[in-house]
Amino acid sequence: MKKVKKRAKLLPLIFSGALFCGAVLPLAASAGEPYDVYNYDRWGEAIPSQAGYIAEKSVSGYDLGIGPMDAPSDIFCDHEKNFYIVDSGNNRIIAVNSDFDQVIRVYDRFTMPDGSETTLKKPMGIYISAENDYMYIADNENSRVLISDKDGNVISEIKKPASEVYDQKRTFLPQRVVADKAGNVYVVLNNITTGAAMFSPDGEFTGFYGANRVQPTAEIVGNYIKNLFVSEEKKARKARNVPTGITSFDIDGDFIFTCTQSSTQTTDTVKKLNAAGNNIFANLELTFGDYTPMYDTSSNVVLQPAIVDIDIAEDGNINCLDYTTGRIFQYDEDCNLLFIVGTKAKQLGGFDSVAALESMGSNLYVVDSGKDTVTVFTETSFGEIVHEATAKYNAGYYEEALGPWYEVLKRDGNYRRAYIGVASALLRKGDYKGAMKYAKLADAPAIYNRAFEGYRMEFLKKNFAKMFAVVAALIVVLFVTGRKRKKKRLAEAAALAEQLARDEADRKKKEEG
Amino acid sequence: MMDLTQREWVKHAVTHPIEGFEDMRWKKSGSVKIAFLIVFLLFVAQIFDGRLYGFQFGVAYDKTFNIIPYIVKSVVLFAAWVIGNWSVCTLLDGEGTVKNICIYSAYALIPYIAQLFINVLLSHVLIRDEMVFMTAIQIIGVGWSVVLLFSAIKSVHQYSFGKTVFAIILTIVAMLIMLFLLVLFMSLIQQIWIFISTIYTEISYRLRV
Repeated sequence: MKKVKKRAKLLPLIFSGALFCGAVLPLAASAGEPYDVYNYDRWGEAIPSQAGYIAEKSVSGYDLGIGPMDAPSDIFCDHEKNFYIVDSGNNRIIAVNSDFDQVIRVYDRFTMPDGSETTLKKPMGIYISAENDYMYIADNENSRVLISDKDGNVISEIKKPASEVYDQKRTFLPQRVVADKAGNVYVVLNNITTGAAMFSPDGEFTGFYGANRVQPTAEIVGNYIKNLFVSEEKKARKARNVPTGITSFDIDGDFIFTCTQSSTQTTDTVKKLNAAGNNIFANLELTFGDYTPMYDTSSNVVLQPAIVDIDIAEDGNINCLDYTTGRIFQYDEDCNLLFIVGTKAKQLGGFDSVAALESMGSNLYVVDSGKDTVTVFTETSFGEIVHEATAKYNAGYYEEALGPWYEVLKRDGNYRRAYIGVASALLRKGDYKGAMKYAKLADAPAIYNRAFEGYRMEFLKKNFAKMFAVVAALIVVLFVTGRKRKKKRLAEAAALAEQLARDEADRKKKEEG
Repeated sequence: MMDLTQREWVKHAVTHPIEGFEDMRWKKSGSVKIAFLIVFLLFVAQIFDGRLYGFQFGVAYDKTFNIIPYIVKSVVLFAAWVIGNWSVCTLLDGEGTVKNICIYSAYALIPYIAQLFINVLLSHVLIRDEMVFMTAIQIIGVGWSVVLLFSAIKSVHQYSFGKTVFAIILTIVAMLIMLFLLVLFMSLIQQIWIFISTIYTEISYRLRV
């Protein structure tokens, strides 16, 4: 990074050619982040890397001309590419255009179907359905989900269900809301650990969806064994083992991705749920967030990653927002880590307390409820190449991805996925030797194994005659020497026997004589 | 009869699991030099096994290379075995001396070492599907070594079958005790060292002021 900076300063002085300036400037920009960009290698150790995103600007309420925002908690980009920011502290929804320079509308009061007006009270989440163009607002402290059209006319509201399945002692505090294509509404509720509440299109409560599992820690296993011997009354008084509730979710086609912020739980922090509510990531050994938890020296605690929001980009990449470190972890659809963006800092590109994340095209939008801003990240040229390569690779176009992967390696020789990509492409092409080389560089034994199999086959085909000749000659030589040895040994034995016989004869002669 | 050179004795002991060591004992044969060479080869084999495996069978962490674990896995382990066995068997009317225990045990390790070398070589020729060959060689090598080691202890101390089993179990316990004492000793030394260095720092500060 330092080198790049120096070059950026020196080169325009030495070469006044416009060509060089053009080539150097974007690099210099990527060096301006308030943090060191890193990635993880095969051993789970942090290594320096190139930036995939840079912070372009951060937008506050003043910039938009609508007064300061107060603890904004969610952001959503609808199908018309307009953004809706949930300004919780000011009880309003702000609709902004995609460039974040013009406010389209500020929603602070809605008209009920009977003509009366209603306001929001600490709204927490918003979702806009592409099917019916309705806004779904998680109106937290009013204990309702408001379904409204874009003119502010309320279509219907969802309130605490009277169903037996829903424990009536519990509150109904919607935190996040999404709706699927069929119009089913899913609501994440505060202090409900049994999953997201699911409602049919007409507002009927149909049950819970996608509960987290309890992590089998030593304490919980111990409690389970203890409970086998404990009476029912005692059990009732004890704290029960419940999983942490879902924090946020996003919908992508038929799948709902959930994330869970927890200081104790490391299972099910990120889930990919199918329509039946089964977690597709359940049996994969996946880690989201930093591999080594951050250690806070001032308070002497280890800070576990806390994924507070999740967003699925149009190209299928999974963006996770970590509250603890203020970082965005971007994964491809197979959960391979692509980029780590952001940090905790005062500067542009750093955060105070992140709340929500959204993506549009190649941009990322992060809502900070401490700074009361929305930060816009744009893709760097490096990020663009990586995204192109991973998209092709994941779709199975290994050979088409070869060019972009080589380009990635030119810019960042530590990028492990690129080596895997090149090795896979070369393997498919039949260049076994090259595939072996790149598989070794990628530390990918499985790919190396297949490449080596092909290489060995080729080697045997080419050299079979020679090897056969050598082996045949060896057998002949061994056979001949073996026979010679045997003859020699037999001769020695015969000589020994003769000697013994002669000795015996001599002895007899002496005795006789 | 049995006028073999030292090298031929090695071959004889390894290829005759039941009688080999008895013969060696009868002829008072066996060389310490060869025993040490074998232990050194064990050390080399452990390093080969850890570092030079074919890439398709797993990746060695190559950012750092620490030789201590390999020394522990070969030389230290062997020394602990010999000392442990000697200290146990002198109490159990064993006839073996340290020298003989060392020689016989080392000879018994040869199949194990050979297995390590052969597998490292094979791992560069075979692919994952053919791993069963390597596993077979490993099982044969380890099994053979175990039988030889048993036979070695049996003949060096002139024990019965049952007593040999007993002695080997006690030897393993003795090795664990040694490990425990070693850890205890290390931590004690560490404490003392910290104590001394603290006093030194304290005094040096006072002197400066």
